Amino acid sequence: MIKTITLSLLLFCGFYSRGQYPGYTLLDHPETAKKFISAATSATGSIQSDFSQEKTLTMLSEKINATGKFWFRKNDKLRMEYLRPYQYLMILNGGKIYIKDAQKENKLSAGSNRVFKQVNRILIDCVSGNMLENADFKPRLFESPGSFLVELKPIEKNLTSLYQNINIIIDKKDFTPTAIEMYEISGDKTIIRFQNKLLNVQIPDSVFFIP
Amino acid sequence: MYRFPILFFLFLSAACLNFSCGPYRHMQKIESEESCVLKLKPDFSRVIYKTSVNVIGNHISGLLLIKYMQDSSTRIVFSNEMGFTFFDFGFETSNRFIVHQVIPQMNKKGLIKMLRKDFELLLFRNMDSTKAYSLAAGNLIYHAFPQSEGINYYITDLPCHQLIKMQIASDKKPRMEALIYNNAPDNPPDSILIRHLNFFHLTISLKKIIPLAPE
Repeated sequence: MIKTITLSLLLFCGFYSRGQYPGYTLLDHPETAKKFISAATSATGSIQSDFSQEKTLTMLSEKINATGKFWFRKNDKLRMEYLRPYQYLMILNGGKIYIKDAQKENKLSAGSNRVFKQVNRILIDCVSGNMLENADFKPRLFESPGSFLVELKPIEKNLTSLYQNINIIIDKKDFTPTAIEMYEISGDKTIIRFQNKLLNVQIPDSVFFIP
Repeated sequence: MYRFPILFFLFLSAACLNFSCGPYRHMQKIESEESCVLKLKPDFSRVIYKTSVNVIGNHISGLLLIKYMQDSSTRIVFSNEMGFTFFDFGFETSNRFIVHQVIPQMNKKGLIKMLRKDFELLLFRNMDSTKAYSLAAGNLIYHAFPQSEGINYYITDLPCHQLIKMQIASDKKPRMEALIYNNAPDNPPDSILIRHLNFFHLTISLKKIIPLAPE
């Protein structure tokens, strides 16, 4: 009996010491990795990819899935176009936000909706490599053999009431995000995964044009 | 000299608004099986609607998930297209209403009360048949179910085979109406339009978008 308890405790301690993300280890001195990530991401001028989004409603045991296309061009141009099973378009360009759903189009200026702006800045930061510099979050860096995991814990008041944390998984091969995980206070989460990435391709201005 | 007709007209208008010119006043109470509307209850067992909300020049869109839970309660969750949850409401069997989650910007007592009443109408809740009565209006029957405040009307054709629309009303006039399209048995309605008839002119339009993945 004592052996079993001891073994269980040892196993628990073993898992716990690896950190809260299976397969990842917390970097105690992440400065080197930070510099490495910043330098590597700064070499990425544009990203074009497909994405899939999965929202998990924990208490309802439900998942809502969507897929679409994603474009990013340095420094502040981003387009996310949801294609299935619903259409929804969001363009961020120079601090302006353009939204088009099935019924209407909406233009928001940089100052018009603070929370919306903050959440959208996360997207830009995630792909531009500036996620570790965002003062609205306290970052921690984890590492696995194939990827980094940047955990962003909100410290800004508006964001702490919405999110537990936002994680970005960065592929070590090309230092671009493979997934963004958004954990809400309720326990629900949304994961956006990027597939078929094309880096540093020419993306015309028209893709980011806000009418 | 001309003041009297103007004053009279104003008085008449005010009287109409305040007392008796509502659409229900001229309807006749009839004997009808009020519970016949229960068989027209939409099946919202598990469905997602693309949702647009318009109110005083503002527009918000998102996804509305309605699900009947195993404990016989109903959950309604509204999130934006990017997955962020705006609210999560629970409608329990004992007519209890629970706000599981609401973002600070929507956490207003009046707004939550209004949404609760709207969804209770759609979900056919609080239908006490001992207080119910029916009114006839042309080819329609208004099945009235008095609430703690106001009355919920379920409006059907004469044989009570088709649900034409639903209304939340004061004693005199409708305050909100909901139109349901393609309400087939055992299948969630294809679309729903909710219109508030007060000065906010809030409209909520729902369009079914997804056959959800199997559980």
